[in-house]
Amino acid sequence: MASRIKWAGIAAVAIALAFVPLLLQQLGGLFWINVIAEIMIWSLLAASVNLLLGYVGLLSFGQALYFGFGMYGVAIGVSHFGLGLWPAFFLGVFAASAMAAIAGVIAVRLTWHYFAIITVVFSLIFYFVAMSAKSITGGDDGLSFSTPVLWEAAGLSLTDRVTQFYFIYLICVACFAGFALLVASPLGMRFAAVRDNEKRASLIGINVYLTRWIAFVIAGFLAGVGGALFALFGRYASASYMFYHVSGEAVVWSIVGGAGTLLGPLIGTALLILFREVVSGVWENYLIAVGALVILVVMFAPRGVVGIFNDLIERRESQDDRAAADIKSLAEMD
Amino acid sequence: MDLVIALTINGLVWGLIVALIALGLSIIFGLLDIINVAHGDFFMVGTVLALVIAGTTGFWIALVLVPLLGLALGLVIERLVIRPTITAASLTIVTTFGLSMILQETVRATFGAQPQRMPAPIPGTVPLFGLEYDIYRLFAAFFAMLCIAAFFLFLSRTTLGTWIRAVRHDRETATALGIPVTRVCAFTFGLGTAMALLGGAIAAPITTVEFRTGIDILPVSFMAVVIGGLGNLKGTVAAAILLAVLEGLVSSFADPTLARITSLAVMSGVLFAKPNGLFAGATR
Repeated sequence: MASRIKWAGIAAVAIALAFVPLLLQQLGGLFWINVIAEIMIWSLLAASVNLLLGYVGLLSFGQALYFGFGMYGVAIGVSHFGLGLWPAFFLGVFAASAMAAIAGVIAVRLTWHYFAIITVVFSLIFYFVAMSAKSITGGDDGLSFSTPVLWEAAGLSLTDRVTQFYFIYLICVACFAGFALLVASPLGMRFAAVRDNEKRASLIGINVYLTRWIAFVIAGFLAGVGGALFALFGRYASASYMFYHVSGEAVVWSIVGGAGTLLGPLIGTALLILFREVVSGVWENYLIAVGALVILVVMFAPRGVVGIFNDLIERRESQDDRAAADIKSLAEMD
Repeated sequence: MDLVIALTINGLVWGLIVALIALGLSIIFGLLDIINVAHGDFFMVGTVLALVIAGTTGFWIALVLVPLLGLALGLVIERLVIRPTITAASLTIVTTFGLSMILQETVRATFGAQPQRMPAPIPGTVPLFGLEYDIYRLFAAFFAMLCIAAFFLFLSRTTLGTWIRAVRHDRETATALGIPVTRVCAFTFGLGTAMALLGGAIAAPITTVEFRTGIDILPVSFMAVVIGGLGNLKGTVAAAILLAVLEGLVSSFADPTLARITSLAVMSGVLFAKPNGLFAGATR
């Protein structure tokens, strides 16, 4: 019952997002198409944090590194190697996953605070490298390029906002669907076992390091997809997106939305980016409001926005169960 | 050679200031189990307050006033924001991140976004190892050292300090013995905040003063805390100085970015080889 409601909710979000461009075209607010596209991109970074924090129990403060590798993979692929859209996209995602595979070997041997620190340290190292290697990365100024065409024969190009929206949408839906299948798979069960009790997991024959390493690489892949999409979306890559503050923001999005839930990161990212867009229009120092909102959400909803929703469903269900039990006991009395 | 000496001494001076800030982070961390992402911004608020107060009443009054304001700020923040979310460490990351946004943006709105510099309160230089060295920098190092010593004396010699150590050692027994644990925790957060602001006041004349300086100091303080070994206060001091001197040394023959990268690489090596800190096994 609960899982059916959950799946229905997930499908509803996916379908609703598909109609966003049509709706906005009717309302004449095409500006918001790009905001929502951006939300979907950043939600992949938040999902990457969520996979580690919510499903494997590792707090990473350095996921922006893999986002940055995805971003620079595309930007360097297009501007230095003259690659087309898809080769550049795959180069970015591959670079991010490969980096995660290497960094993961060291990082997953540590847990909790130490893991958080080592992920920050790795991301800081490459942030400074990207800042100083100006001839390749453009440093702080960044690297601009013109987007290659998506599909020449069909005349599809990312310069069209609606095409771009659906391009990002389809990739994001694929990623979240893959995420859902992953956490429900035997591997996902292993993730949960490692998260809940590392010792017990290793005693029943689970290789804890390997399991964490796999999760770390998949998280790097997700962040890499986000970064690659972001580069194509902004036609731009900059070292500033690799700074630890970006990673921290992704942690906040993930927890505010609800860590350990599938859609939590998407909801958290959407809530905070939309709130920022709205408030920044009326108040110059809108970040004060954003900070206050973040604090209030975790104060009153420690399990995040989606956490509240799930609690509501569960409470209703236990009420239903109790009612059924009452009826049964009444029937028995008769 | 002059450059090597100058940058090494600079590293030592900076390391002592960072040690003071990292100690504040470390006691908050050890007692309340909070990953305080806003700690760098506490330092930043210290530099800004020092500049503003020094502009009206003079630097020496600022040096006394800023840590007191820090204590008050810390107590208020603990009551309003930290205590309601202390149930999980991951939640306090979010609340302190929100706090960091609020502090930075408030400073930007009131103080302005323009980086400023503060004139040295003690002008002039002295000859030191064959070069002319700023007097204020030496004073800053000496004063930071004094504060660190005072902090350790406070922890070991006063009732309140003993209580802090007791709560840290065993919270339940401390409660049973009648120690007001909640208030001790609140005071510890205030003290840690005050130390960050004090570090900011000391550093204000030798660094740029703007709303973003906290972002750079935060990872450095965290590294000192972790390399020194979580909860190992003396280790934190040693690690802060070691990291800063190393960075000073490397930047004497390479550019500062490379120096930063080197110290980060050393750090990941230490974390990998000795995850409990360089000084694991040393006395607490």
